[in-house]
Amino acid sequence: MSPTSSVTIESFLKGILCLAVAMLVLLFPGLSGTQSNAASCLKIGLPEDPRTLNIWLASDRNSRNILSQIYQPLYTRDPDTLKLVPWLAEQEPVFDAETLSYTVRIKPSKWSDGSELTSEDVAFTGRVIKDFRVPRLASRWNFIKRIETPDKHTVRFYLKEPKAIFLSRTLTTPIVQKKEWIKIVEKARGTEKPLIKLLNHKIEKPVGSGPFILKEWRQGCYLFLQKNKYFFGTGRRISGRILGPYIDSIIFKIYGTSDAAILALKKGSIDMFWWRIQAGYLQDLKTQKDIQIFSNEKSGLYYIGFNVRKPPFNDVNLRRAVATLIDKDFIISRILQGLAIKMNSIVPPGNQFWYCPEVPRYAEGLNREERIKKAYEILRKAGYTWQLPPVNGQGKVVKGKGIRLPNGQPMEKFTILTPPADYDPLRAMAGMIIQEWLGMVGIPASAKPMAIGSLIQQVKGRRQFDSFILGYGRLDIDPDWVRNFFHSSNDKPRGWNMSGYKNPDFDRIAEESASILDREKRRKLIWEMQKMILQDVPYIPLYNPRLIEAVRKDKFSGWVGTLGGIGNIWSFCEVRLN
Amino acid sequence: MSGKSLDNRRVQKFHWMSRFLSGWAIFRQSFLGKIGLTLLALFALMALCSFIPPLVDPMYQPMAGVDPEISTVTGPSTRHWLGTDFMGRDLLSQLLAGARVAFMVGVSAAFMSVFLGTAIGMIAGYMGKFADTLLMRLADIIMVMPALVVLLMLAALFGQLSIWFIVFFIALFRWPGVSRVIRAQTLSLKHRPFIEAARVAGASHLRIIFRHITPNVLPLSFLYMTFQVTSAIIIEAALAFLGFGDPRTISWGMMLQWVWKTGHMFNAPYWLLPPGICISLITLSFYMLGRAMDEVLDPRLRKEGQTD
Repeated sequence: MSPTSSVTIESFLKGILCLAVAMLVLLFPGLSGTQSNAASCLKIGLPEDPRTLNIWLASDRNSRNILSQIYQPLYTRDPDTLKLVPWLAEQEPVFDAETLSYTVRIKPSKWSDGSELTSEDVAFTGRVIKDFRVPRLASRWNFIKRIETPDKHTVRFYLKEPKAIFLSRTLTTPIVQKKEWIKIVEKARGTEKPLIKLLNHKIEKPVGSGPFILKEWRQGCYLFLQKNKYFFGTGRRISGRILGPYIDSIIFKIYGTSDAAILALKKGSIDMFWWRIQAGYLQDLKTQKDIQIFSNEKSGLYYIGFNVRKPPFNDVNLRRAVATLIDKDFIISRILQGLAIKMNSIVPPGNQFWYCPEVPRYAEGLNREERIKKAYEILRKAGYTWQLPPVNGQGKVVKGKGIRLPNGQPMEKFTILTPPADYDPLRAMAGMIIQEWLGMVGIPASAKPMAIGSLIQQVKGRRQFDSFILGYGRLDIDPDWVRNFFHSSNDKPRGWNMSGYKNPDFDRIAEESASILDREKRRKLIWEMQKMILQDVPYIPLYNPRLIEAVRKDKFSGWVGTLGGIGNIWSFCEVRLN
Repeated sequence: MSGKSLDNRRVQKFHWMSRFLSGWAIFRQSFLGKIGLTLLALFALMALCSFIPPLVDPMYQPMAGVDPEISTVTGPSTRHWLGTDFMGRDLLSQLLAGARVAFMVGVSAAFMSVFLGTAIGMIAGYMGKFADTLLMRLADIIMVMPALVVLLMLAALFGQLSIWFIVFFIALFRWPGVSRVIRAQTLSLKHRPFIEAARVAGASHLRIIFRHITPNVLPLSFLYMTFQVTSAIIIEAALAFLGFGDPRTISWGMMLQWVWKTGHMFNAPYWLLPPGICISLITLSFYMLGRAMDEVLDPRLRKEGQTD
């Protein structure tokens, strides 16, 4: 090659390089200045933009993930023991049985704008939630009579009645800054629909007390978070860990699909993908030497629920027969590729203290034929008849046809509502398979995937359905939700009791469990509740998926795995450059 | 029945036969047509064969049958010629069942839309005036609506759509194109001497439309039908791929959706490629068939020397 041509090529390449740099600068003008220390900038892939940065409205995973870096609670859970440890609080709360009050002292700490975080902020947060009846949070605060602030660092909560969830739910609510919110709150109060006004307020730069603060958000592109220099935890030892953050900034990049994000992870464009990884990617990721896979339990419950208010599922025998026919092992090993834990009770087994292992189990260890025979026996004894019974005269299993209810009426075709395939293909598939299993004994089920919004409206709002498959991905460690899900007072439009389960015995025990403060005694009650539910099966618990996440280990390390995955506050306070 | 009318029928039958044969002669000369027809015959064979695997063993049932020993994605083997999907279902049985669904969706949606389009086009062209304006504006309105987007919105609103609903909606969205062409043809036919003659002889409007105009526009309708099949199959596949198809049917789009959603897009080519190739080939075959039929119907497209 002649020197001239090599020079030309070189200058050509240089030209392209300049052009590329210029384009980058044009595309990310905000980053060109802020990203000076790119080495300790952690890059995380997100599947979608957060829907909002307004903490009161944030209910989707991405918004909550981002906001968990910004707004902090008084107490949080230790990643290993899952016990509550003081976070913004200085020490354990002090309980006064006489006045029914808890006193909490707060650590000297600052907001990201430099102003001091005081007891006034805590009291303000509680009052906003109570006064506006903020969805999802109000139930944690409505039993509080009043909040007092004797001094800048002390806050005292007076309760109307003893509540078991005060420590685990109320005190883990993120605290907001009074200075930032007072004007917005006052303005909202004056309007006709204050809650709507509050929820719809657009927050651009949230002031928080967490390890990071939001610097920039380009919708559909990225979010840039910088280290909060006022973070109270920096250099402090909590739960035996010396907190950072040890990185300067985090960039959250938005990838529309898992495919794109996982390719980016393999290539090194991101260091972590903050989303559940499907089984199909695992094999390939396991062979990559720079990629580390984390598999953690979730505090989840995926289940099939019935409408026990009307036929055919107002009959407990039919529900038990369905529970007998469902092969959970098949669903877990085939549909979920083994990346899930079988649920016997409605409390996940990972929640060791509250999980009751002695609940009734249906069809444990039976094969397909034995299941059908057992379900047939249950139904036959309850008075169901068939045109063509699923077990013939010789005791052989055949396809059943024309099932009739005990009152002689033919059983009408019913639907199993599932989320659509684009939302959760696995649940949609589980619905299809359950339909086939029920069809074997002639139970005329038909799985119907439905957009998740309409599905919830149908089940919770209109309450017109036969059965449905839904799931909770992040149940609280404290099992107070068992009471919420099945207490008869919650059987109302948009109430938690979607099945319409009514059992006075259950209600009594559930109420007792909510007000008892002795942990051991409460555990006995919660166990009793689980046994009752599995006896009456308004819900059949199916599985609890494992959370598979992947990170690159060539640049950063220090991820903390816990119940619910590695995307937790401890990880972000501990991750550091190798 | 008089002998004369019997004769008349024979002549007419002969006329149709001769028209078909001469058309076939031109069709045979078309290279595209031959490939299209061969491919189509292959797919038809696949659709027919889809009934065989479930008879061999229940594990070959495309929807619910799983291999008792395999519970994950595996490559081609003697037991599973194309391999298995993520839960151990046979991919070949799914592919064959997909051919059946593609034909069903394609042909029924196309037939419905062409039927609607032809009827509306003829009425608009023949009646003219107010009816023409009304029907054609309606056609304009529907023509600018993106079928896929509307279907996606409907799916989001009403939950997952059944396959027959999808077919019906595709038909409802695809008739305006056909009706425009048929209307134009009807307009030109309307002023031909034989229609005038029929009218003078006292034929009713219905008789003129069905007896004299329909036979002259039908070949055009059939031509359009082949193109409609293509778009119907593509719309169904796109819907299914995006997760809005009917989960109770195994279509090629659905297979693609599963390979995508379970994360096997890049590591299971034996799962990804066959449905993709089949969708491309079946739409291509209908397109080629349409092109060849175009040549038969439109003498201007023929090469020099080709005659009726």
